[in-house]
Amino acid sequence: MSVITVEHLHKDFRIPHEKRDTLFAVLTGLIRPASYETFHALQDINFSVDEGEMLGIIGENGSGKSTILKILTRIMRPTSGTIDVKKKVTPFLELGVGFQYDFTAVENIRMYGIIMGLPQKHIEERVDEILEFAGLERFRDTPLKNFSSGMQVRLAFSTAIKTDPEILLLDEVLAVGDMEFQKKCLDVLNTFRNEGVTIVFVSHDLESVKKYCNRVLLLRHGVNVFTGDPDGAVAKYQGLVLP
Amino acid sequence: MPGSHLRELYNYRQLVWAIAMGDFKWRYKNSILGYFWSLLEPLVMLAILYVVFTNLMKLQVEYYALFLLLGIIMWNFFVKATNYGLNAIVGKPSLIQKVYFPRDILVISGCITAMLQSFFESLIFILFMVIARVPITLNLLYLVYILLIYFILTLGTALALAALNVYFRDIQFIWVVVLQAGFFITPILYPLSIFPPALQEILRLNPIAQIIITARDVILYSVTPYPLALIYPGVVAVLVLVVGYIIFSRLEPRFAEEM
Repeated sequence: MSVITVEHLHKDFRIPHEKRDTLFAVLTGLIRPASYETFHALQDINFSVDEGEMLGIIGENGSGKSTILKILTRIMRPTSGTIDVKKKVTPFLELGVGFQYDFTAVENIRMYGIIMGLPQKHIEERVDEILEFAGLERFRDTPLKNFSSGMQVRLAFSTAIKTDPEILLLDEVLAVGDMEFQKKCLDVLNTFRNEGVTIVFVSHDLESVKKYCNRVLLLRHGVNVFTGDPDGAVAKYQGLVLP
Repeated sequence: MPGSHLRELYNYRQLVWAIAMGDFKWRYKNSILGYFWSLLEPLVMLAILYVVFTNLMKLQVEYYALFLLLGIIMWNFFVKATNYGLNAIVGKPSLIQKVYFPRDILVISGCITAMLQSFFESLIFILFMVIARVPITLNLLYLVYILLIYFILTLGTALALAALNVYFRDIQFIWVVVLQAGFFITPILYPLSIFPPALQEILRLNPIAQIIITARDVILYSVTPYPLALIYPGVVAVLVLVVGYIIFSRLEPRFAEEM
């Protein structure tokens, strides 16, 4: 059974030649119409993900990988096309999950749990677990703004995975964190895979993609140029980039 | 507001409350005087305005201190809620760009934070009322309706401002000027009766003016409000909410891209 179905997905971004972000600029600009270029970030993307599958998405910077994840999360709306997501989505985008810097670690964990719809009791039980996994027990009541970037990412990742994800969207999880934490992450991914959690995995770490993903989507300039087995996708990608 | 959206908001009610309470606590955590600061602010304003207006203008108003304090607290609610609204979206980029939930939750909880602050400030007002021995009558029940339409009016305004401020960042500067003008054309410092009748009628078109006048009537003067004084601001409040909601939901899809 597929839990994610994407059909004919298009996403365009407008790149204005001059940014008009004040009312003043709009009013004074009425004489001259605003000019902009359209950037086709995604063009006619079709794929589906089965329950319990781990789908990899690879491609160069700017090929549209993160945009797909943002659309699946409903943070961005598609320009056209349909998206059908059947289960709860837990996103981990651009190394964050929506934490607020003025609040402490515990406050952020609680807020995140509420956003994800966990019952209050559940959240309280897990706070310690999350802090322990992130290795941040001592920083319970420290505001996030005083955390190093590595600490923030560890906390965000730990929080995301402890909220009973049904569909995990992971964007470059392995990019930060020391070796020990990276290993922890991969262990968690393995456990989730065995438990039947659906995972969409965006990464530049091709070895991990080959090792963990069931299927891989290769993007180039917003076009899906290959969908299939991980080895084939990685080989094709390397062929495109390093001819 | 479509029913399905209301149901979604209901499912997220815990989040609305959590953000509202979180902000409420956070706003006082950073100040030395903590919660007392929020009581001090209207008190200082009251003291200054009271001295100036009773001496300079020789206003003859029964319970003038209470009259003034109620006006200040109610106006402050509108100022705070709309300012939180302006920053509800642009002030929380990490939430908007990383995780999904209905975006209007941020505006709604901003208004609730302002409401909590106003209730807190009202403690002084109640204390003053007891000291002044203002008689209390059943007319006080109208207050429930008045506060409800005031909240609706404010929420509608805050929704529109929150969404527009994402696209036009100078809205917040324009709003400062609007609020400043509003402070003087709304009968906060003075009773409307200081103006000639024709001007009074014009100033009464301001729904907040009517809401504050009616609130004073039922709390301080035991006056039963006449129907139009209840209906007019109620109709305007609902209209403002509808328009604010339409603006918000039109602009909402591209928030993440515009920030």
